[in-house]
Amino acid sequence: MESTLVKLTVQGVMPDAIPNSESQVVILQDESKTNTLPIWVGVAEGTAIRLALESVVPPRPLSHDLIRNLTEQLGLKISKVVVTDVKNNTYYASIYLRSKESDTQSELTVDARPSDAIALALRTSSPIYVTQEVLDHLAPENVDPWLKMLGSKEFGGTV
Amino acid sequence: MLTQMHIRGLMFDPYTNAYIVILRDESNTEMLPIWVGKPEASAISFAMEGITTPRPMTHDLMKVILDTAEAKVISVVVTDLKDNTYYAKIHLSYEDSEYSIDARPSDAIALAMRSKAPVFVNDNVIRKNNSEDMDRWLENLKPEDFGKYDA
Repeated sequence: MESTLVKLTVQGVMPDAIPNSESQVVILQDESKTNTLPIWVGVAEGTAIRLALESVVPPRPLSHDLIRNLTEQLGLKISKVVVTDVKNNTYYASIYLRSKESDTQSELTVDARPSDAIALALRTSSPIYVTQEVLDHLAPENVDPWLKMLGSKEFGGTV
Repeated sequence: MLTQMHIRGLMFDPYTNAYIVILRDESNTEMLPIWVGKPEASAISFAMEGITTPRPMTHDLMKVILDTAEAKVISVVVTDLKDNTYYAKIHLSYEDSEYSIDARPSDAIALAMRSKAPVFVNDNVIRKNNSEDMDRWLENLKPEDFGKYDA
């Protein structure tokens, strides 16, 4: 059964609220800003996402730039990425790929961490979705602190 | 001319705060150190030690995308050294065509190890590889560093 998908955009990447944490938090929101999805990512992936948000083009292709270049050269188009599931605090995502000749019926799906999926989506201007189920499982206590930070001046700064 | 090389070690360089991947040819006569960043070093060390993570890391994803599309990594080649930057190419076959894609050696090596593809180095690069650089870090190597990750 196809689940309902909600389109999200990346609002920013910020340091984790826990001091000395190695993690960063990617904040995604839907268009109406009624749903907010925080996703914890590693430093490398956080950096990869931030560079794409800031449209920084590094002198040499970084890992996610390479994935984009690989898929582009092979004529594979990333049609969307979807945050599909959350289990034991781990988020799961799928990347949907389409070859030039193929129709929508023969889309390829690849399992990925949301951090990689988002870093890739931003580099290929592909839409990012989350399933309604994932949003339904979000605990408000996990989201509210980030909503507060979204409104604060601290947000948007580089780490 | 290309020389096939194997990944023989990974170590931390305290001078540059970076990691060094050590490539050697079959006969151990040629050696090439390549400086890489921390995430790429861990991607390479996972492959060296055969560690699989519960979730696919970035280079695992790279491999899975290629596998899913039925594209095959034929080889990777460290092609050039300019202003202390190494350049590499990933050679792929896909739907009866061959492709070569520009990459950093760290990404290319991390992918080659996961795809069981051979790694080659252009002889120009081996020659250009500055002997002063080599001496500097070789002096600081302890024998135990060297064998540590020997494959």
